[in-house]
Amino acid sequence: MLSLQKTKALDTDYLESLGFVWHTDTDETSYISNELVVISEAEAEAYYEATNTLYDMYVEAAEHVVENNLFHEIGIPFNLIDAIKESWENDVHWHLYGRFDLAGGIDGKAIKLLEFNADTPTALFETAIVQWAMLKQNGLEEESQFNALYESLVDNFKRLVTLEEDVSTFEERYDGWNFLFTSVRGNSEEENTVRLLQHIATEAGFNTEFAYIDDIEFSAEEGIFYNDVNYELWFKLIPWEDIALEESDLAMLLSHIIKNQKAIIFNPAYTLLFQSKGLLKVLWDLYPNHPLLLETSFEPLDAQKQVEKPIFGREGGSVTIINENNHKVESVEGDYDSHKMVYQAYTELPTDAEGQCYQAGVFYAYEACGLGFRKGGKILDNMSKFVGHVVK
Amino acid sequence: MKYIKKLSTITAATGLGALLVTGMTGCENRTQQTQQQAKGAFVIIEETAPGKYKIKDEFPADETRIVLKQLDGVERVLTKEEMDKLVKEEEAKIDNGTSPLTQQNPEVSQGMGLGSVLLSSIAGAMIGSYIGNKLFGNQNYQNNRKAGYKSPSTYSRSQKSFSKSRAKSTSKRSGFFGNKKSSGKKGGFFGG
Repeated sequence: MLSLQKTKALDTDYLESLGFVWHTDTDETSYISNELVVISEAEAEAYYEATNTLYDMYVEAAEHVVENNLFHEIGIPFNLIDAIKESWENDVHWHLYGRFDLAGGIDGKAIKLLEFNADTPTALFETAIVQWAMLKQNGLEEESQFNALYESLVDNFKRLVTLEEDVSTFEERYDGWNFLFTSVRGNSEEENTVRLLQHIATEAGFNTEFAYIDDIEFSAEEGIFYNDVNYELWFKLIPWEDIALEESDLAMLLSHIIKNQKAIIFNPAYTLLFQSKGLLKVLWDLYPNHPLLLETSFEPLDAQKQVEKPIFGREGGSVTIINENNHKVESVEGDYDSHKMVYQAYTELPTDAEGQCYQAGVFYAYEACGLGFRKGGKILDNMSKFVGHVVK
Repeated sequence: MKYIKKLSTITAATGLGALLVTGMTGCENRTQQTQQQAKGAFVIIEETAPGKYKIKDEFPADETRIVLKQLDGVERVLTKEEMDKLVKEEEAKIDNGTSPLTQQNPEVSQGMGLGSVLLSSIAGAMIGSYIGNKLFGNQNYQNNRKAGYKSPSTYSRSQKSFSKSRAKSTSKRSGFFGNKKSSGKKGGFFGG
């Protein structure tokens, strides 16, 4: 049984003042659990090491895909392949941040990779800000977290310019390039996640601005414009595969903009390789039986409990748990039924006294830098709760 | 491990502490930047050998104006008609493959013809925007347009001054995802 510490729930007015407005779920329950997962320093270390190892493995696997032209196999839309290759070849396309979803790591269970949200990870606000706010509002200033997400993002924004671990030369090398931050209109969670990133980039020293995607002008030859100002740097919390499938003209324009070096786009197009769950199969091919991996295949696995999930699904949509006898035991409906599927060996998530399942999310920004948890049913969907943590 | 932190120490290092007290709303509402936009370009083209030309300098301006310095020392401003005619002629050459702008390894060390040089300038790209697609999709054009400039520094200076102040053009597109509905879901991209 995992260990939890009760706290006083945060006041919603206070959360809103932070910009955190998605504090209540549609069933009127709080999205933020008032309990904290208690972990040891050794457990925090293990998450840190595992995440760094996994990132290196993802880079190897993506290189394997690029070298062997396996884009189609892992479900990459053809109209982004040029952009992916272009971004993969040049360091200026720096990966800003991603989040690994991990099973285990607490309660004596081994850490196993579930997937890597490398392109448009949320839960940033919860992890970087809200769980610190929980300690602060509960008078727990002397408690610790595995959580340097905020300062790691400040540094990694600076690395977009320095392109090396050392960020001390940022001020002398930053030439005033404008940085635009973007979400779709009408989703406060996504917008405020983007505004938090903008806030952090401003602290790092960039000229920044925010715009909704539909207000931005794109030109293959001239780049990215908002209110007639040119932006050399652009962050979009919009999945690359949505751009490829829903706005193919934009995919083409962005490919040209990258090729013509008119703007640098974050997260880079190659993060779609990481995002594809098809890469989980490539990882298993390259690192068979690696202790951090679960067996994954494009075909159903033989006689074992497994999870069927779409290559680009989100929020648990269209995910199905299949037992040893090939019966569906649990599923979440979704819009991704027509997607290509992968089959990943099942692993038990740690549970609390009420049988709620816990999954770790470890953020990566140049290295592993912050931990948060989610709890819910066996398939974590859009009704799952965020749970903070303390390191004791 | 260095990333296990105490709240009391972490907030001192970054703006996180202030954010936890005042929230993000206190930091927004910065005034929108406005910037004067150039609508055209001022280009000086120099005749370097009989019938061969290079771009001497180019910078943003309200109106597009091309000044030609001929070998005989005469300086004159190209008329609109002259520019249109040059662009039209160069377009025909692009179409039949004789323009040095789209050839693989053209002999351009002496400079190019006036039409080619004009189109290799950013002003030319503006004037001839209707043929822009033929050029911008062409890798040779991207390589060869540098040859239209008298020195590499002219080229990079020109690129730089224009990247800061390019005018609005008809080639820009906007309105993407304009009809995308808010999912309204918790954890929009929280993965599955």
